[in-house]
Amino acid sequence: MTIVKSETTPYLAAYQAAIDTTEPTWLRVRRAAAIEQFSVLGFPTRRDEAWRFTNLRRLTKAPMPPAHPATSLPDPDAGVIESLRLAGRVCRLVLNNSAVVAAQSSGVDLPAGAWFGSIAEALETRPDLLKAAFATTDPAGNQPFAALNEALFTGGFLLALAPGVSFDAPFEIIHVNTDAASHPRCAILLGEGASATVMEHFTGSGAGWNNIVTCVDLGVGAKLHHVKLQTESPAAIHLAQTRATLAQAASYDSTVLSFGALLSREDIQVVLAGEMADFTLNGGYFLGGQQEATFAPFVEHRVPGCSSRQLVKGVIGGQAHGVFLGTIAVRPGADQTDARQTNRNLLLNAGTSVDTKPELEILADDVKCSHGATVGDLDDSALFYLQARGIDAATARRMLIGGFAADIIDASGAGETIRQHLHRHLSVWLEHLP
Amino acid sequence: MTNLLEIHDLHARIVGGRDILKGINLTIKAGEVHAIMGPNGAGKSTLSSVLAGKPGYEVTLGHVLYQGHELASLGPDERARQGIFLAFQYPVEISGVNNMYFLRAALNAVRKQRGEAELDAAQFLKAVKAKLSLLDISEDLLKRAVNVGFSGGEKKRNEIFQMAMLEPALAILDETDSGLDIDALRAVANGVNRLRDPGRAIVMITHYQRLLDYIEPDFVHVLSDGKIVASGDKTLAMDLEERGYAHLASAA
Amino acid sequence: MSATLDTVETILAAGEDNYKYGFVTDIDVDELPPGLNEDTVRFISATKAEPAWLLEWRLKAFRRWQGMTAPDWAKLKIAPIDYQASTYYSAPKAASGPKSLDEIDPELLKTYEKLGIPLGERAALAGIAVDAVFDSVSVATTFKDTLAAQGIIFCSFGDAVREHPELVQKYLGSVVPPGDNFFSALNSAVFSDGSFAYIPPGIRCPMELSTYFRINAAKSGQFERTLLIADKGAYVSYLEGCTAPQRDENQLHAAVVELVAQEDAEIKYSTVQNWYPGDAEGKGGIYNFVTKRGACRGANAKIAWTQVETGSAITWKYPSCILEGENSVGEFYSVAITNHMQQADTGTKMIHIGRNTRSTIISKGISAGRGQNTYRGAVKILPGAENARNYTQCDSLLIGKTCGAHAIPYIDSRNPSARVEHEATASKVSDEQMFYCQQRGLTQEDALSLIVNGFCKEVLKELPMEFAVEAQKLLAVSLEGSVG
Repeated sequence: MTIVKSETTPYLAAYQAAIDTTEPTWLRVRRAAAIEQFSVLGFPTRRDEAWRFTNLRRLTKAPMPPAHPATSLPDPDAGVIESLRLAGRVCRLVLNNSAVVAAQSSGVDLPAGAWFGSIAEALETRPDLLKAAFATTDPAGNQPFAALNEALFTGGFLLALAPGVSFDAPFEIIHVNTDAASHPRCAILLGEGASATVMEHFTGSGAGWNNIVTCVDLGVGAKLHHVKLQTESPAAIHLAQTRATLAQAASYDSTVLSFGALLSREDIQVVLAGEMADFTLNGGYFLGGQQEATFAPFVEHRVPGCSSRQLVKGVIGGQAHGVFLGTIAVRPGADQTDARQTNRNLLLNAGTSVDTKPELEILADDVKCSHGATVGDLDDSALFYLQARGIDAATARRMLIGGFAADIIDASGAGETIRQHLHRHLSVWLEHLP
Repeated sequence: MTNLLEIHDLHARIVGGRDILKGINLTIKAGEVHAIMGPNGAGKSTLSSVLAGKPGYEVTLGHVLYQGHELASLGPDERARQGIFLAFQYPVEISGVNNMYFLRAALNAVRKQRGEAELDAAQFLKAVKAKLSLLDISEDLLKRAVNVGFSGGEKKRNEIFQMAMLEPALAILDETDSGLDIDALRAVANGVNRLRDPGRAIVMITHYQRLLDYIEPDFVHVLSDGKIVASGDKTLAMDLEERGYAHLASAA
Repeated sequence: MSATLDTVETILAAGEDNYKYGFVTDIDVDELPPGLNEDTVRFISATKAEPAWLLEWRLKAFRRWQGMTAPDWAKLKIAPIDYQASTYYSAPKAASGPKSLDEIDPELLKTYEKLGIPLGERAALAGIAVDAVFDSVSVATTFKDTLAAQGIIFCSFGDAVREHPELVQKYLGSVVPPGDNFFSALNSAVFSDGSFAYIPPGIRCPMELSTYFRINAAKSGQFERTLLIADKGAYVSYLEGCTAPQRDENQLHAAVVELVAQEDAEIKYSTVQNWYPGDAEGKGGIYNFVTKRGACRGANAKIAWTQVETGSAITWKYPSCILEGENSVGEFYSVAITNHMQQADTGTKMIHIGRNTRSTIISKGISAGRGQNTYRGAVKILPGAENARNYTQCDSLLIGKTCGAHAIPYIDSRNPSARVEHEATASKVSDEQMFYCQQRGLTQEDALSLIVNGFCKEVLKELPMEFAVEAQKLLAVSLEGSVG
């Protein structure tokens, strides 16, 4: 008999209450295994190496099980959605605490072989696609939050493109979260040679908890530009795990910008499973007040000839705490690996702190791997140079911080509209700097 | 004509260090071109840093009047907006900040100070094009980040281009000739000469006489051990070229 | 087949017989039977006629140790160690105290001569004072009197306890407290001897001080303790070398080294660690579990660690600096080689406490055979460390497909005016470089040795000349097997 961690009991109860016997058996089996795993693992503690810098107290102090039956929430304010959305031709899904808001979502004519919609709808109409999303990703492993998501998810989105299908307009998902606990499950499945651009925006109000798992599965030669913008409320908790598997010559270009949430974490686990696959991550955390953000990319080179590039930058003000836990793992035989990982941090004032741990784990010899990390403040000589040209100190600081952060946006291949969209958010954040 | 800049018995140092400037006296009127020469360690760069208000330097005695007002209380950006321009010996590289964006922000800050309307993107571009012809600068440089990946000559030309855009009353050129080959030097000097103006004073700080072959000064001063030990016209510079600094330094 | 591959095979094919320090000295010893309890601790303390406070200190450490567990966070596979199976005291007979050289067993003198460390003063290495530690005790210290003339104390730890108890009591455990970790607690309980040096204010130690450690006895562990104090404005350069016979079982070496640098003082501490690494199949070899730490107590103090780690089956070692004094400087230069089945988890900790403190870390890891080599480092900038600076460069060289190289740096900064920079690379020996060297007439082995030495140059140049030469040879030997 395994020992159930006491802090998991409210979640066990929530799981029991939510068991839906109409779900396909395979899913119910997965959910049962997942909740058992969670109940044994419990929440991570600072003794777990991967969580030693993360303060989970707010989450562990008071349980936040999902409400049951799910209370129906008012739709997000249409004006707000209007102000957040991407301009131009877009295929949009608005999720309110992971449930779809049909009135605010808008489709465009999708080509044959493309499917885009909510998880609930997928479960109803295309369980085969949903099953595929689960088949290609590992079970939750020793990861309590992923296990909890698997046990409790009710909403989220699924995008599936059949082999050879590409779509030129971006798929946009606006996730609105409120005071509730939400466990969205998302999946992006691109068949051989398919290509897509996905823009996700997490926003909301209140002191809710978002526990997201996103599965990305890229077939041979598939191409995905994936942008995530996180501007949740400053009281929210945002824990996200993205698990991507790349087949031969697939390319995954990921941009992740975190501005919001009191506590946020981006676990980005990428497996380069086919030769010549390529992964790029451009990430940024922009923190103030009491915020804490963790970026934890884990890139696994399983086969020869793959490349990966990670550039994650942090700008940390207030009393905020930034954490970078990056790992490049090169498995035996993964020769001609070319992997790079860089983390740069700006500490804006006293009282801020950063923990960075860029890790290399190499078990092949014919590799080119490097990592770098820096922590510092703004360059005094650059500040003086700008001031000597008549720019006041506060503007000069903003310009330098903006310049520091700009390349993570500019490097995204998601197109000019999205880049401008991200730049606007960065500018807004910069303007609010003290 | 009123004095643009008056330096009275100026003593200054790097914060916490010993005095580097030990009593500078100098008066500069609009329209004049002054050359300040001297050996390494004489205090030339300290003088330009103190005039531009670089943090980390402090005035321990004496004062500087610019357009009749005490400079000491002004921050570096305020000085710049009031028309003091320092062409840096080592222009700073600022990655991620576009050169044009930077220049427009600077120009509008200066214009605002002068009570002029800010320029929108189109007006700014027009102004840029007009000044570009002054210097041999390719538009490509303007699209890049500030000084990033510029050659030594490109950086110095970019400094003069900024000066042309900002139209300062007092331009201080700190070792603008250093690290330039003869063609680049000529191009930079031509730019500066075109910016000579009855309303503008130029102070060239240099170790070598060769810059003065291209930009003819009205006055030459020799700085040694933190003091001006000799002043004269351009013949003084030629004299220095022949006899070196040593005899002047010992005379001090 | 690429040039590098050929070389790799040469290396893999290399036998284990290239460890030239693997001989055993046949000598009568006083030895405790294996086992560890409070009586063992009392016995060691009594044998050394220690004062009561030191016995109490040891016992406290021992009780502390009993409640501790061995660290498991390192990237090391360590077979369970039976601490009751080891011998905690082994000393050459009649060598309980310092002797004039005439009284030293000629077998011992021969041993050290074979190791290249002649102890007779006439033959002694010019400019290096040596404290020779054989199993549990110090057998000889050279140039003691020459140094004493300047007020420098350099002697065995046992002598220091007898002759300078006030200094020992003041500094012992002040940098590495007994309960710091499992191995330091064990060492604090059972340490048998080691070296002690005190450089008085304003004195520049005129020669290199050196300790040569030799494990000889079978089944014995070595638990030495080194304490080095450089008083205000003093300077000392200290060298440490180690070897052990070739034996099939693993032997434990759990040393503690404490350095104290007062205001304006400087300590350079260099190690060439060449403990027996075990055979090509991973049988035998030393477990080198060492705690080394220095404290820059005063302003402008400087501590520099340089290490060349070629030996030992397993190395667990993080020479560190606590930078308390304003403007104090910590440096760490390391070369670590793991070949065959060797494992190393080594690096440093730089703790910046004072203003304007600076640290530099240069680490070069070389993995070959089935060796696993981990750099583990921590740079901590505390809130008061205004304008602190750290620069870290950590490079790994991989030779062959079955080895591993890992880098685990921790950076924790809490002061915005501080700058921390970390860079790391991992790559294999380039085929082009190998071909270029071979095309110019070098053998594969020589070419590899040349490239590896070049790779390590930044570290090797920090070593004193005598050591640098030895270290270069060692690198070649460690990698080339039979060629050496």
